Amino acid sequence: MFCTTNSPEQRRWVRSCWTSAALVAPLVLGACAAFRLYHLHGFAAYGVAVLPTLPILWVLVELGRFLAVEKDEFQRNLLVQCVLGGTGGTLATTTIWGYLEDFAHAPHLDLVYVYPIFWLFVLVSYPLVRLRYK
Amino acid sequence: MKVHVGSPAKYRFEDRFLFFIVPLFVLDGILGFWGFHYHHLHPTGALAVLCATVQSSPIIAFIFIVALYLAEEKDEFQKAVLVQSMLWAIGATLAVTTFWGSMEKYSQAPHMDIALAPFLFWAVMIIAIVANRWRYR
Repeated sequence: MFCTTNSPEQRRWVRSCWTSAALVAPLVLGACAAFRLYHLHGFAAYGVAVLPTLPILWVLVELGRFLAVEKDEFQRNLLVQCVLGGTGGTLATTTIWGYLEDFAHAPHLDLVYVYPIFWLFVLVSYPLVRLRYK
Repeated sequence: MKVHVGSPAKYRFEDRFLFFIVPLFVLDGILGFWGFHYHHLHPTGALAVLCATVQSSPIIAFIFIVALYLAEEKDEFQKAVLVQSMLWAIGATLAVTTFWGSMEKYSQAPHMDIALAPFLFWAVMIIAIVANRWRYR
């Protein structure tokens, strides 16, 4: 999103996104392997299940931090509008899918997909928001 | 007597809420209680999709009227408070759904209906609005 930026805040935000993405994969694989090999139960199971969510939470914290410290009002506004686009898309999708599960017996959508759905809508919103300011 | 004058965008938001969202919620309630609880309807195919659309329509309509309010509101401060609250709400919703989804997947936690995610969002948003207003009072 901000590949050609000179702002240190934006660079930090992009770095956090990539680092988090790089951390999620080994943590998910590690958690899967731990459950398969050691058949974890109780408190240990909860602890290991939480591990893959930590980089995801970190990105959300970094997003809030970025929005708080970014000096460029225009860039901040762009990101806020994209996040709102992502929020609207996510809420619409989860609402419709939830009721389709109840009434039309649509296949069950795992809760872990809510996060990727959100970023997908943010990504889709980005060119649309940019188009408004051309 | 003190007369409080709100912004026109806020009035329009309230009107839209009253004349679109409230009737949709009433329709939802009628469909839910009369159709599914009293008559135990089990719609299939296109009718099931129609029921799902009717049930989700208040939430979808609410998203649209909030977006319209944000587009029409001239008061930057009011807009900033709402945007901040929405960011808190989406952050909390994503955190809870990801955490609970992992628990379901790995440690057999009880199943959470995905249709509850928007309700979680609106609940956190209301709390965040109150907290933000208290912060800037």
